[in-house]
Amino acid sequence: MAASCHDVDVPGKPTETGTALLETATGAIQGFAPINQIHQHLCAFHFYGDDMTRQVEAHHFCAHLNEDMRQCLIFDGPDAGARLIGLEYIVSEELFLTLPDEEKPLWHTHEFEVKSGVLFMPGVPGVVERRDLEKVAKTYGKTIHFWQVDRGDALPLGVPQIMMALTRDGQLRQDLADCVEKKYGVSFQKERENRAYMSGPAHGIHPLANAAGKGLKTDIREVDLPTAIAGARIFT
Amino acid sequence: MSSSDQNPAPTPASGSGTTGGTSAAPGPLGRPTTVSSQAMDMGAQVLQPLKPVRQMKQHACSFALYAHDMRRQLEAHHFVSRLNQDVLQCAVYDSDKPSARLIGVEYIVSDGIFETLPAEEQRLWHSHAYEVKAGLWTDVGVPEMLQTSEMGRMAKTYGKFWCAWQADRGDRLPLGAPALMVSPQAVEPGRVRAELVRSRDERFKVDSSARGLKGARVEMEEPEWINPNADYWRMHGKGFAVDVTASEMKRNAPFP
Repeated sequence: MAASCHDVDVPGKPTETGTALLETATGAIQGFAPINQIHQHLCAFHFYGDDMTRQVEAHHFCAHLNEDMRQCLIFDGPDAGARLIGLEYIVSEELFLTLPDEEKPLWHTHEFEVKSGVLFMPGVPGVVERRDLEKVAKTYGKTIHFWQVDRGDALPLGVPQIMMALTRDGQLRQDLADCVEKKYGVSFQKERENRAYMSGPAHGIHPLANAAGKGLKTDIREVDLPTAIAGARIFT
Repeated sequence: MSSSDQNPAPTPASGSGTTGGTSAAPGPLGRPTTVSSQAMDMGAQVLQPLKPVRQMKQHACSFALYAHDMRRQLEAHHFVSRLNQDVLQCAVYDSDKPSARLIGVEYIVSDGIFETLPAEEQRLWHSHAYEVKAGLWTDVGVPEMLQTSEMGRMAKTYGKFWCAWQADRGDRLPLGAPALMVSPQAVEPGRVRAELVRSRDERFKVDSSARGLKGARVEMEEPEWINPNADYWRMHGKGFAVDVTASEMKRNAPFP
């Protein structure tokens, strides 16, 4: 069974033994406080802001920055060789509502992902998992992918992509659903029934979230560089 | 809708503004983590092996400049995971503390891999030779003698760094479009501010000067050639910004 439902071959020579040994030696004397905060693995799916038909298996490795916010690294699989393909920030409804209106479309809802059973914590028993997912169902997320493994990119190419998440039945590709259900021995349908009691954001899904119901694309633009070097810059 | 070179509208999420540098930024919005969330996390961690995260075996500290405004510079902490001898992937944070903000991702490839990329792609990447030779890039806490071979390899690599949280601007939540970053260089506007380096050196007990790392790396082999398609600003005098705009979405079902 493949580690990820998207298989690409990253170019490059195998890691040399000397390199690996040295890394282990130096790593032992270094601090890793920010990544030691990562305590949770969530699996779900993302699709591109301008193309729902391109969907990605996304493994979230998350840390709480505080009760209202988590920051997650997104990998394309659960194993040691997984590729780091993006980031996700997860905020409570209260924090989401503080965002400027032009920011809100970049964020997606989690209610359907949780309630439909497709978002899960590999290896965690349902009864434990559901205690946290009750909270996640009410949150909003902002996901950016930098590496388009679903189209077979062997390296991270092009510009970042704003990703969206599932919001209703019929969106998730059956082949991807089958791949993940089989790999983890989970049943989305069965979990959906277990989670029927959960509810989404208290104020309902904000109309500006989920790309304001439309789509999003990213482009790179060449700009003139400000030249004045005036030491530390003050923002007003 | 949103651009990396555009300031967010003032709201609690955008903070009150701050000076350059990262450490001065106010903390993220939100209530302290509750005991029940902590307990949940501890429980999950016991059951979940988190293998990709355990692959991060190197902590490197350096500096980065926004590609759209190189006057804006920050201290970056890279937690590096090796995919193979030629390709590294890094989670980038604004400090090395437990409360650090995850501000972006950097990919690092060897010169051999870089040469295989299309020119259109190469312009988004920066070179590392100066940054390493100048003693700016260092594996925190590792004696120079032990990092020499890794730094020698690093000097020949290229990086592509996307910043998703402009914390140095005072943003208390990640706002706007992701921004492309570039590396420090020996010429303006690519020089990193001296006080930023001094502050880092003091806090981490590093001496990046000619008496310290820079001096120790004088003999380090330099790349024979730095591809001129990298470090786009040096040849073209222009930067890059990222725009997120409303568009049509190709769909196989209604949305949302």
